[in-house]
Amino acid sequence: MINVFERLNDGKYTIYFGPAHPGSGNFGVKLEVDGECVISARADPGFLHRGFEKLMEYRIPIQNAVLSDRICILESLAWNLVHAEAVDELMGIDVPERARYIRVVLAELSRIQSHLIWFGVISAGTGFDTGFKIAFGLRDYILDIFEMVTGGRVYPAGYICPGGVRRDFPRGAKERIMRVISKICVDEDTTVLEKLENKVLKDRLEGVGVLSAREAIKLGATGPVLRGSGIKADVRRDDPYEVYECFEFEIPTMNEGDAYARYCVGIEEIKESAKIVRQALKMMPDGDYIAPQFRKPKLHVKIPEGEVYVRNEVARGEGCVYMVSDGGDKPYRVKIRGPSFLHMIPVLEHLLCGAEIADVPAIYWSLNVCPADMDR
Amino acid sequence: MKREIEVLQCLKEKFGAEGYVRRDRRVFITVDAEKVKEAILLLKNKGYEHLSAISVTDWIKDGEFEITYHLWSYESKILVTLKTRIKRDKAIIESISDIWGGNARTHEREMHELFGVEFLGNDDLVPLFLEDWDGPPPFRKDFDWRAYVREKFYSMDNERERSYYD
Amino acid sequence: MGKKKSKEAKMMKKLIKAIWVFNWFNSCGFAELVPVVGSRWDMERFGMIVVGNPRHADVLFIAGYQTFKSIRRAQRIYAQMPEPKVVIALGSCTMTGGMYWDSYNTIKRLEDYLPVAMYIPGCPPRPEAVFEACAKIFKHVEEME
Repeated sequence: MINVFERLNDGKYTIYFGPAHPGSGNFGVKLEVDGECVISARADPGFLHRGFEKLMEYRIPIQNAVLSDRICILESLAWNLVHAEAVDELMGIDVPERARYIRVVLAELSRIQSHLIWFGVISAGTGFDTGFKIAFGLRDYILDIFEMVTGGRVYPAGYICPGGVRRDFPRGAKERIMRVISKICVDEDTTVLEKLENKVLKDRLEGVGVLSAREAIKLGATGPVLRGSGIKADVRRDDPYEVYECFEFEIPTMNEGDAYARYCVGIEEIKESAKIVRQALKMMPDGDYIAPQFRKPKLHVKIPEGEVYVRNEVARGEGCVYMVSDGGDKPYRVKIRGPSFLHMIPVLEHLLCGAEIADVPAIYWSLNVCPADMDR
Repeated sequence: MKREIEVLQCLKEKFGAEGYVRRDRRVFITVDAEKVKEAILLLKNKGYEHLSAISVTDWIKDGEFEITYHLWSYESKILVTLKTRIKRDKAIIESISDIWGGNARTHEREMHELFGVEFLGNDDLVPLFLEDWDGPPPFRKDFDWRAYVREKFYSMDNERERSYYD
Repeated sequence: MGKKKSKEAKMMKKLIKAIWVFNWFNSCGFAELVPVVGSRWDMERFGMIVVGNPRHADVLFIAGYQTFKSIRRAQRIYAQMPEPKVVIALGSCTMTGGMYWDSYNTIKRLEDYLPVAMYIPGCPPRPEAVFEACAKIFKHVEEME
C-alpha cells in the first residue's frame, strides 16, 4: 500500500498570528506549528510603543492627565484615575468626598464598557457575530454617558485630574446612568449577555487554554485571568483606593482556569460593577468636586520629593503607576505597569504551547488583552 | 501598620537595609546590589509571590541607576518596593528570572532595552519593542527626545513646525 | 417609486461594487472604528464592509499614529491591495504627530510613507466624521468614472 499520508504530515512550519487583527490593536504572535499543534509561541509586541513613561517626564501633571487617557484606549477613564491618584498621593491632596464618588462611578462604568468590548471581540473571534453587534451596541450607551459627563466619547481628555474631577455631574446624569445600567443588567442577577450565551460559544471556549493557579501567580496574571484560575484577589478589596471600602460587592471566581472560566468571570464582573455604580449613585454626597487649590488650574506646581506606587484594579487586571519626583514641577520618572504586559507575553506564550491552531483566537481573546497598555 | 514595620525590621536585621513605611500597605526598602537577590528570595518565601513590576530610575546626577522591584503579598496584603542602586557606567545586576520565570524575564527584557541595564543570568534579552534601533537606550536621561525629534523629523523652514523649536 | 431618482440613488447605481475596507488600527482607531461597524452606527448601510484580508480591500483605513515597526507592515499591506486603492488616515496623529509630537518612535507625517487620499481630523474622530469621509469616498468613486 502506498502511504501518502505520512508525506503530507511531516512538516513543521511557522505561522504569524497578527499583527493585524479584526478585534484588537496591532500585536503579533509567531507560532511554531507541527501539523495542527502549536509547539512554541513567541510574542512580537512593540507596534504601539510611543514611550509614555518618558513623554510624561517632559510634561507637567495637568498635561499628563490628558496623556494618561491614551495608555489604554479601551478603558481610558480607569487609567486617568490611576495617574490622578499617583499625583494626589505625591502632593498630599485631600480629594473631596463627592469627587471620589464620581471617580468610582466613572471607573466602574469604564470597566463595564471594557468588558462589553471583551465580550464583543471574544464573540467575533469565535465566529459569533450577533454577540459582537449587541455588545458594541450596548457599549455605545455608556459612551453617550461619557460624552455627557466628560465631553469626550472615548477619551475624556483628563476629566479625572489631580485634585478631583474637572466638572460636576451634569443635571440628569444620575437618572441616565441608572437607565443605561438597567438596560445592560436586566435585573440584579442577569445581564443581556447571559441571554446570548449559546452552545457554540461555550464549546469553543471550554477546556481551552487552561491556566493553573500556581502558574497564574508565577507568571504575574492579575484581574479576571487570575480570578478565572480560582484565586480570590481583587485590588479593590485587598488594597482599597478611593471609596471602595464603603461598597458591598463580591469577587467572582471560577476554579477551572480555562477560557470559558475567564469569560464567565468577566460577565459576573459586569454585574458587580453595576452593583457598585448603583450604590455609589445612591450614596453620593453633595459638595465640592475638586480640591479648592485646583479649582483654578495652576500650571507649574511643584511636586514634593518622593515616590509612590499606586495600584488600581482596571478592567484587565492590576494597573499601577510608580511615580518618582525630585521636587520639580514635572515627574522625574513614571513607570506604568499595564496588566496586558504580562498577559500578552509570558501568559500567552505559556498558554499557546500545545494548543491547536483553531484555539489560538479563543485563547488570545479570552485573556482580555489591550496591546496599547502593553507597549505604552 | 504593625505588619509593615515587621517586614521592614526583618530586612533591616538580615541585610542591613534602610527603608520607611509610606502609608498603610506600602513599604519602601533599599538594599545593596549584591544582596538584592537574597532579599527577594526571602520575601518570596514570606509570601510575596506576585512580582508586580521591575523598574529602573536613572539618577544621572549621582551617576547611578536605581532598580526597583515591586512585590505584593496576597496573604499579608502589603506592597514592598525593594530598591537598589548600581553604577551607571557599569550597569550590571543579577537577574531574578530563575525565581519568577517568564514574568521576571519579560520585565528585565524591557528594562534592558529601554535603559541598557545588563541582567546577568537572563538568556532572553533580545529587543522587545524596537526594531532596528541603533541609538542609545531611549529612556536614559541623557538622551534628549526633543532634540532628537527636532533633528530627525522637523525643519525650522517649515512654518507649521516652527513652534516645536520654541 | 417616484419618477425622479434621488442623487444618492443615482450615485449608488453607478457603483459597481460595495466598498471593502481593511482596517489597520493602532489602538484609537479600534475604539472608534469598531463601533462604526457595530450595530448603532452600522457602516454596512452605506455599502461598506470590513474585510479581514488586504487582498480583497479597496480602502485602507490607517487609524492613529504609526510607529516605525507598524508603518513597515502598513506599507506591505498597501502593496498587497489591488488597484484602485485608497488610503484614508484617521486622527490628528497621522497629520502632525499629534500629542506624540516629541515621541522618538512614531512617524510624524503619514504622507511621507503612504499616498493618503483623505485625512479625518479628530482625536479620535467621531463616527459621524468617519461617515462624512465615507460619503466623500463615494463621490471620489463617482469622479473616477
